[in-house]
Amino acid sequence: MMQARLSILLSRAVAGGAILTLMTGCVTSRLENAREGVTGIAEGESVVIMAKSYHLGNHTERSYLTCVEDALARGSAGLNVIPHQQFVDSLFPWFEPRTAPAETKGLTKLMQRPGVAERLAEKGVRYIIWLDGDTERVASGGSLSCAAGPGGGGCFGFAWWQNDADYNASIWDLKGLESAGTISADVSGTSFLPALVVPIPLIARTQTAACKGLADQLRQFIVADAGA
Amino acid sequence: MWLAPVVAIALSGCGSSVTMDPPTIPEPLLEPMEVSVGVRFPENFRAFSHEEETVGAEDWSIDLGRSNEVLFTQLFGYMFENVIVLGPDDDPYALDIDAYIEPSIDAFEFSVPSQTKTDFFAVWIRYRIKVFNSEGEQIANWPLAAYGKSQASAMGGSAALQRAAVLAMRDAAALMIDKLDRETGVGSARASQSQAAASPADIDNRPLPASAKEFLPLRAGEFTDDAG
Repeated sequence: MMQARLSILLSRAVAGGAILTLMTGCVTSRLENAREGVTGIAEGESVVIMAKSYHLGNHTERSYLTCVEDALARGSAGLNVIPHQQFVDSLFPWFEPRTAPAETKGLTKLMQRPGVAERLAEKGVRYIIWLDGDTERVASGGSLSCAAGPGGGGCFGFAWWQNDADYNASIWDLKGLESAGTISADVSGTSFLPALVVPIPLIARTQTAACKGLADQLRQFIVADAGA
Repeated sequence: MWLAPVVAIALSGCGSSVTMDPPTIPEPLLEPMEVSVGVRFPENFRAFSHEEETVGAEDWSIDLGRSNEVLFTQLFGYMFENVIVLGPDDDPYALDIDAYIEPSIDAFEFSVPSQTKTDFFAVWIRYRIKVFNSEGEQIANWPLAAYGKSQASAMGGSAALQRAAVLAMRDAAALMIDKLDRETGVGSARASQSQAAASPADIDNRPLPASAKEFLPLRAGEFTDDAG
């Protein structure tokens, strides 16, 4: 009896998951990388994900940064990721939006500041990954209207919108104080909301796709030459 | 009876108010300046509030409370060898200090998403730092502009505005750690004081740096090595 109930629940969950998978909008992704140097990461070395400064006009969302951190650290092949706020606080004030180096040229001067090189070594920071870019709604259309009365309510119509997620990651290797390369993620997603009494959202998870895609590329980029 | 609170809420209009908890900064990576300074905070460092009226949208106000006093006390404590915080009636020149600092707020502004049509709250604070030597002469008057920006989140606008204000204060702290000495010369206050106190005979007998010797005119009977 109990087993039959569990089996029904399980089949419903699987069916629900399948429907949810089917009920997503359309997403297209393009990921590119440009390597400038040999990479690799040893035991005990770690990476930090940072957003480029808003003083430079960058608007990378905190949620995106956290998503990339989590995705890079996840799984058996996950990298050792230092949470960005912890890193910024431990090196205060040299990674604040105003003072953080904008180019690798600034790393030499940064390392000469009191305590900076020692703190980076203590934390085992090998790579700093700078993210810039954001997710924007670039188009929308359709119309949807809802009404409610004493006898009930409902929605009729069709709406859609398109989000573009454009992100760029610059990888700095602190071993040689140089740039190791860049990875870009350009993801476009269109969501639909048809409604015939009940609205059925078909949401394109554009930012999530850009996060996962970029994190996978970053992991491959960093560990690719690990044996070299 | 129940109508009274509803009317009170309606009459209060649409507005959001944010009260700041005094921020703390992480211990910075720096070498403290070897000077003893006296600091007097103006009244508005202990209680400061600001309101932004937005046409056709809700008004916002922020109460910084003692945030500036707490921040500057902590910051100067890290930056200088010795800091004495003066009361309103204390005479700084009766103390054994190398310099006296008077910070103030020239301007405070913020913007909310309804004004900028973005997802971001931004805070600008313009501080002014006046530095006096131990004789009471003003040696510097430095205006510095700090900026903080934070994305509105699911937690609501109040948290984002508060975070933007904290970031602006951290920005001011970072700027002062990086540039206060260069802009005001406060770090050399002790050296210039001891130089001024030195007797003319001492000054005449001080050894010259090698680079300065190159520019001294030759006196009769003196020859350079090259002249043989």
